[in-house]
Amino acid sequence: MLNKKSLSFRIITRVLLITATLFVLILTLYYFYARNSIQKTTREYAIQLAGNIVGKVESELKPLEKIPQLVSASIGLGFFQEDSLIRILEEIVERNPSIDGSCIAFEPYYFPDKGKYFMPYVYRHNDEINTSFLGGNEYQYFYMDWYQIPKMLNKPYWSEPYFDEGGGNMLMTTYSHPIYINRDGTPHFIGVATIDVELDKLTDYISEVKIFETGYAFMITRNGVAVTHPDKTQIMNTSIFSTSEEWNAPVMREIGRELMQGKSNFRSYNIPGRNKRWIYYTHLNSLRWSIAVVYPDDEMYASLKQMNLLLLVLIAVGLLIISLVTTGIVRRLAAPLQQFSNSAHEIAQGNFEVELPKELNSIEMQELNNAFKYMQDQLAIYIEDLKQTTSAKEKIESELRIARDIQMSMIPHSFPPFPDLPQIDLYAMLNSAKEVGGDLYDFFVLDKNKFCFAIGDVSGKGVPASLFMAVTRTLLRSIADKHKTPSAIMNVLNKSLSLNNDSCMFVTFFLGILDIETGELRYANAGHNPPLYIKKNGKVLFMDMGTSIPLGLVGDYPYSESTIKLLHGEKIFTYTDGVSEAENASHELFGEEKIHEVISKYNDADPQSMIRFMTESIDKHVDGFEQSDDITMMSINFKGNGSA
Amino acid sequence: MNMYKTTFSFILIFIAVMQALGQKPKLVFSAHWMPQAQFAGYYAAKDQGYYEEAGIEVDIIHPSASVNAVEFLATGEADVISLFLITAMQVKHKGLDVVNIAQLSQHSAIMFVAKKDSGIETIEDFDGKQVGIWLSGFDELPRAMMDKFAVEVEWVPLLSTVNLFLLGGIDVMTVMYYNEFNQIYLSGIDREELNIFFATDYGFNIPEDGLYTLRETAVNKKEELRAFVDATLRGWAFAAKNKDYVLQLVIDIMRDNRIPSNKAHQSWMLDKVLEMIDLDNKNLIPGKLHRDDFMQAFEIIRYQYDLDFQLEYNEFFKPALNLPQSN
Repeated sequence: MLNKKSLSFRIITRVLLITATLFVLILTLYYFYARNSIQKTTREYAIQLAGNIVGKVESELKPLEKIPQLVSASIGLGFFQEDSLIRILEEIVERNPSIDGSCIAFEPYYFPDKGKYFMPYVYRHNDEINTSFLGGNEYQYFYMDWYQIPKMLNKPYWSEPYFDEGGGNMLMTTYSHPIYINRDGTPHFIGVATIDVELDKLTDYISEVKIFETGYAFMITRNGVAVTHPDKTQIMNTSIFSTSEEWNAPVMREIGRELMQGKSNFRSYNIPGRNKRWIYYTHLNSLRWSIAVVYPDDEMYASLKQMNLLLLVLIAVGLLIISLVTTGIVRRLAAPLQQFSNSAHEIAQGNFEVELPKELNSIEMQELNNAFKYMQDQLAIYIEDLKQTTSAKEKIESELRIARDIQMSMIPHSFPPFPDLPQIDLYAMLNSAKEVGGDLYDFFVLDKNKFCFAIGDVSGKGVPASLFMAVTRTLLRSIADKHKTPSAIMNVLNKSLSLNNDSCMFVTFFLGILDIETGELRYANAGHNPPLYIKKNGKVLFMDMGTSIPLGLVGDYPYSESTIKLLHGEKIFTYTDGVSEAENASHELFGEEKIHEVISKYNDADPQSMIRFMTESIDKHVDGFEQSDDITMMSINFKGNGSA
Repeated sequence: MNMYKTTFSFILIFIAVMQALGQKPKLVFSAHWMPQAQFAGYYAAKDQGYYEEAGIEVDIIHPSASVNAVEFLATGEADVISLFLITAMQVKHKGLDVVNIAQLSQHSAIMFVAKKDSGIETIEDFDGKQVGIWLSGFDELPRAMMDKFAVEVEWVPLLSTVNLFLLGGIDVMTVMYYNEFNQIYLSGIDREELNIFFATDYGFNIPEDGLYTLRETAVNKKEELRAFVDATLRGWAFAAKNKDYVLQLVIDIMRDNRIPSNKAHQSWMLDKVLEMIDLDNKNLIPGKLHRDDFMQAFEIIRYQYDLDFQLEYNEFFKPALNLPQSN
């Protein structure tokens, strides 16, 4: 699989992320737009569908209203005799197949000879027209809705539906029109004229309306009672209000109340435990009943959901293709990179002639190729240069090593130096910072009982300093042959060094001559660090030097000398500034105080040990930091002739 | 006493013989209205076999548009009927010798409703208004109430629907809390849209449904009646504990009788009827007609119809059960 840090992976993930985001955005916009559009279309369709149903019901029922209306008016105007009424009713039922019965019912004793009840009734039964006269204690029609309501309200009335008594299980409704006669100029109620209408054809029509899978249309009465229902046993039993109670769904009551108020509306509703639905409801003008069409939300949007699913699959496939194509392109474009990488490895191993990738498919790769080529050429040239430089440097280094050997051979370095001089114990060391250094020390016996020693530090380092040092040391030996006091030696040495000293080099120098019989030490100093004087009682002092300048600067500078007398066992410790100025990583100097402290601590040690302790102390202070200056130390123990 | 003993022995022998023949003594019970949850206890007792267990066979019949329960009793088509206390007293006053063998309902459910927009706020506002009342009777108490408040109303007899009220044809309607009141609600009128007047709030807390027989039946079929009342009370107790089951029973019976029914309404009715029977009330003795209730109903009949009317509590209330003696 792809490495997560690979170029291909990064490019593909970013491309996919952006593309997928874009797709999702477009899909979401599309979804909401389409949803809105479906809702709008559904609403329009629902209004149209409900309108059709309303139209159908109205066109069936409305014309029928004319008949009782006409009958009432005719009776009110006295056109019919009571005995001709049956004939009229028969005509009505016979001529109107949608009418299943018709009656004219009168107020008590309206026709005195007909008694309390007078209600001629004609009805269809098994396709035959039957006549009868109803009314009596067991049928007190005055109190029935179809009679009482138009009477009390003074207007026609479509009754709540009912199942016919004939046992045909047909759903009926009765339209009643009040009959008035004019008595003393005021209308006077005398009874009602009715028709019975079978509703089954209408309810079948409504029940057959199918909306998607489970959507349906229904009709309810002004009391909210179901006239049609998917479950036939609920017809005339349940109402929108009773269902609202049973399902604990107040929204149904809300809808029912809007229907009662004659409102039309398209809305959605949720009933806990049931799918969300959309409903459009409207009102029948004649019966004041209501028609509603119900759209299950999930079915309404089913096509949209399918479309979305399809789009999602397409998007997934699209993303897959994009990722494959992108991988291919990136791999092809980036292929030379691997070759460049291999070439770079080869070059690193010294094969500058390695071949670079040839099939370069982009300007960027061509540029990279040029850069590589340039690098190859430059490296070859550089390495050639380097070879020459290195060999030159190696030569110089070898010469320097020889120079160092020569330099080191110039100073005494066998200890103890004078096995036949028991009065003196001495140890010295010189540790150059570079191959050759500017520090020097020397000691030799002048005559039988005069012992001369010196330590110095040439300005600068390296070859010039070492040459100057060699000159100084050679001059010292030759001058000391002729002049026997420190000051004289110093003055002559200074004069010689100052001559033709165009490069202005100089050397700090300390020179002492010790009388090994008496312990008298005469010494002169030319700007050198003051040596330490370790007294017999263990006290350590910096020797008094006065002020002076280094040798080689001023040819006629008068150097003076001082004298102290060493007791047996007293010591002198000399050093160059490489000791006092030894640096650690934080650029802290070792310092003269520290030198004094170390010497005080080891005042009993012999010269070699003393220098070893000092070296250890410096190493500890420097802690591995690079040595920048020559370090030179010389320690002398005046033992005398052992009598002290 | 001897005569009584002989009769009793005869009944025992009769029962024994019938049982030996594999036939149980039969009682016909007529409810005083169409099938509905108001009579759930009887249906439950029959359905659960409580009557059979008590050694009787019971037929339950209902009045029709032409014949009411009292007529069933008078003609002998029914041995025992349910009736409002006050209606039963009126029947007695008219001459049919009925006795109360058990008082089931202990409270009144009669009330009046008026739409708020009619402006009717008090009983006094009924004056001159058209007030719906049941054509089939049960009207003694509403009439007595109007008399008490000296309110003249135009009574409009109604068969059984609330449509005239819904359409505004009448201003006020007499309703039963457990029945028409809820029918109005289930026709889309919110309770907040109505002003309601409970009879009990105006001093007319007269219990309603009780069981009645002819005086001679109460004597002749004492054992069967005791078994009937006892099993009926068990039926009500069962209904109180198994409402869903009993509701379905009621609805099935209603459907068989082609009467519109729905669970919401029957459930309301069952709840309210159970509240009136009040079986859990420890202060009441199931089946007992209290003397105070008797007196209140009696006074209404007396003042309403006949000041000379005489009726003794002990003559009217002949409990089939052996009730503890108290007021």
